[in-house]
Amino acid sequence: MSTAMNFGAKSFKPRPPDKGAFPLDHFGECSAFKERFMQCLRDSGFQSGACRERAMAYLECRMDRQGAQLMANEPLEKLGFKDLIDEKSEAKPEK
Amino acid sequence: VVPGETALAFYKAKNPTDKPIIGISTYNVVPFEAGQYFNKIQCFCFEEQRLNPQEEVDMPVFFYIDPEFAEDPKMAKVDSITLSYTFFEAKEGQHLALPGYQ
Repeated sequence: MSTAMNFGAKSFKPRPPDKGAFPLDHFGECSAFKERFMQCLRDSGFQSGACRERAMAYLECRMDRQGAQLMANEPLEKLGFKDLIDEKSEAKPEK
Repeated sequence: VVPGETALAFYKAKNPTDKPIIGISTYNVVPFEAGQYFNKIQCFCFEEQRLNPQEEVDMPVFFYIDPEFAEDPKMAKVDSITLSYTFFEAKEGQHLALPGYQ
């Protein structure tokens, strides 16, 4: 833990995550998606913005697990992927 | 990473022992002043996680930097923020003072 011994300075207060904790993916069910995302990061010089589709695919993998869900279902628009969803639905109007 | 855009990051943890370990993690953000702009949507932290002997798992963090970061003159020179996690072994009967959560 960080012990910043400067009295009078604010201490760092960790905040819990907005949507709670991810259960661990003990069986690596979404590892393939994670690998594809990491490959994209490496290829793009670690530009997070370039790999948002694959990040979205990873989170979708977590939500789709039958049985032990690795992530509570949440509309992807609310997770900051609204623009990608809109693109998707424009490309496939019959979906 | 662009302020306001959600981003995904992965850490990896391994239990090198031959016994299961139950751990709980907390995080730190450097530089300190940037910490207020760091928002976690979801992560593996703040809850006990069990790692079996020799198990290695990916630990994701889904986050964004508050767009106000770009407006803060104090942050003008900050082009790198480091997020680090520390795992503690959870001991029976011991209670980490976690911020009000759940």
